[in-house]
Amino acid sequence: MHFAWTVKYKPKSLADIVGNADAIEKLIEWTKSWEKGIPKKRAAFLYGPPGVGKTVTVEALAHDYGMEFVENNASDYRTEEAINRFAGLASQYGSLFGGKRIILLDELDGLTGTSDRGGVKAITEVVKVAQCPIVLIANSAYDPRFSNLRSYCLLIEFKKPPAGEVAKRLKLISEDEGIQADEASLKFIAQRSGGDVRSAVNDLQALGQGKKTLTYEDVSWLGYRDRQDSIFNVLRMILYGKTCASAKQAANMVDVDTDMLFEWIYENVPAHLTDPHDLADAMDALSVADVYRGRIRATQEWGFLRYVIDYMTAGVALARKNTRTSGWIQFKFPERIQMLSRSRAERAMKLSIGAKIKKKNHISARRASREVIPYLKIMFDNNAEMAAGLAKWLDLNQEMVEYLVGSEEKAEAIIKLMG
Amino acid sequence: MSFEMWAEKYRPKKLSDIVDQKDIVERLKSFTKSRNVPHCIFAGPPGTGKTTAALCLARDLYGDVYREHMMELNASDERGIDVVRETVKTFARVKSIGEIPFKIMILDEADNMTSDAQQALRRTMERYTETCRFIMCANYSGRIIEPIQSRCAPFRFTYLPREAHDSYLIEMAEKEKVKLSSEGLDAIFEICGGDLRRAINTLQSAASLGKPVDAKVIYSITGKASPADVQKMIKVAMGGDFMEARKQLRDMIQKYGVAGSDVIRQIHTELFRAELPEQWKIKLADIVGEADFRLVEGADEEIQLSALLARLVEAGCDLRSAR
Repeated sequence: MHFAWTVKYKPKSLADIVGNADAIEKLIEWTKSWEKGIPKKRAAFLYGPPGVGKTVTVEALAHDYGMEFVENNASDYRTEEAINRFAGLASQYGSLFGGKRIILLDELDGLTGTSDRGGVKAITEVVKVAQCPIVLIANSAYDPRFSNLRSYCLLIEFKKPPAGEVAKRLKLISEDEGIQADEASLKFIAQRSGGDVRSAVNDLQALGQGKKTLTYEDVSWLGYRDRQDSIFNVLRMILYGKTCASAKQAANMVDVDTDMLFEWIYENVPAHLTDPHDLADAMDALSVADVYRGRIRATQEWGFLRYVIDYMTAGVALARKNTRTSGWIQFKFPERIQMLSRSRAERAMKLSIGAKIKKKNHISARRASREVIPYLKIMFDNNAEMAAGLAKWLDLNQEMVEYLVGSEEKAEAIIKLMG
Repeated sequence: MSFEMWAEKYRPKKLSDIVDQKDIVERLKSFTKSRNVPHCIFAGPPGTGKTTAALCLARDLYGDVYREHMMELNASDERGIDVVRETVKTFARVKSIGEIPFKIMILDEADNMTSDAQQALRRTMERYTETCRFIMCANYSGRIIEPIQSRCAPFRFTYLPREAHDSYLIEMAEKEKVKLSSEGLDAIFEICGGDLRRAINTLQSAASLGKPVDAKVIYSITGKASPADVQKMIKVAMGGDFMEARKQLRDMIQKYGVAGSDVIRQIHTELFRAELPEQWKIKLADIVGEADFRLVEGADEEIQLSALLARLVEAGCDLRSAR
């Protein structure tokens, strides 16, 4: 089993964090101010896009300053009980063991308006009278729900770190993993992630794990996207989606066409849905999607595309019933597509021999290259006389004979026999 | 022993040379008698005589100069719309000189044409019916667009029965002075099913060794040409390793060009031979049948077959837990 590199290489100390130096400085200053007495703003509100290091900054801060770190996901704060516990913790600066305490409330966006019994209002009440530093985290601080809470908080914005900084981090990771990665490849991954360090690290792992080298060619097929979700995120949404809606939505988020997305899903289903029943159901969903593709072809009724998408996304997502999610599994590039792009030269050679066969045999060059060439190879290998006769009859050139017989020596003997 | 491709050398020249597909041949003969041919679809697995039947029909109709009245186009190689617009149209619209007022266009592997090209073809077929009749050869008629299907007389070719297969190969072996044992013949049929082109290619490559052709020779050479070991693949799948089974399937289809319908047929045969509880056999037959049907409907071979493999993985797992 592999570990996700985002976990393995999570920064432990503030010094390891990519970018946002100003924001981090501001946060340190505010934390230190607690030593001189309770500051005016008793909570810090960190906000910014996903994956730029907000949570990890608070963790590293607690680590660097030896504070007791209490982390909670804000969406748990829906019950009175949880709120009371939070209030209790917040009412003392020191912990039982004499150290200082810092409380993190993550994912404030997850709170839904008024229906939550505790909700934003209860959190605000606790912040007003807190005796220890509280850090709040959300993607946006300017949500109207937070307008009152905001006035009691020190607002600190986290921005997307520049690609160069992200690339440096990727370089450290790849060095540690023993991958020789060229600069262009890392820069490409960094740029594509649009400042989302977490997804950049995910991409690096997907592309580089187990490899000795990583070049620009290895990564360039990802194609540049304007911060459209990377194919890996979309696959995650489909293969681990819990509802039809979320899985179907994934199909709109990615800029590869439906057929290519289909290939990605088809390649990756077996590794991610390992329970035999789940796998069979997921493969069946793909097979039905494929039947609809056939129907589109036969009828030119492009409206059927919606059923293709239903089956290949929601159908696959809902097949997951028994498979347990365990650890991190690499997403793989569709092998079927790779097989096509590999060995272009050999295919060209096969096709040109196929074209010669076609002239004599009422069979397409394509089919001949697949179905007849394997037999020709045997004949050429075993029987120079027959080979010479066939080469003459098919009008093959020296190169073609060499390819079929697999050695220059033997080819020369055959060509001599041809006269 | 002659040094051309036997599959071509021994291709039947006249409809009466074809010893199998009797119903089809009878219907085609009635066309030559009445000197009228409708548009046709010849559908069926590879190596069952579709192209041969079309060529024989043309020769019977026009005699030795048949090449002047017939054109053969391979849709696999030239499948775009431009070919239909240019080549096909140019051929179709010019009147034939001779007693038969129409020409024949053989579109081989027509199921590989793009649907745009098929749409264009549909109009060409309609417009020039007077001057040209089309014979479309396809593995899967489901991949031909419906408007074309409805304009064509359908002919379904099936794998060659054992007797026809044997009679072709035995005659060929005699003419080529190759010793072919009956075990060798069994082995060829087992490996190639009724795909005659593959059977002949197998025989010729076996003969190239210059030894009497027995089962051992056949197995040794087909191992090289197409390791289409369906039995092994089923075992791997039932044992629970889907990825490996899919890899084997992919190699069969992509590298060695084994037809999907052929794999299905072999899986079907193997299932009833395998040591499985009786109820399971019929349950699995239903699954195989569904995959077969989806293929005929025009779906992708690898996708359909790997979905079938996933069901075999599931069955293998259920069987183990039932024991």
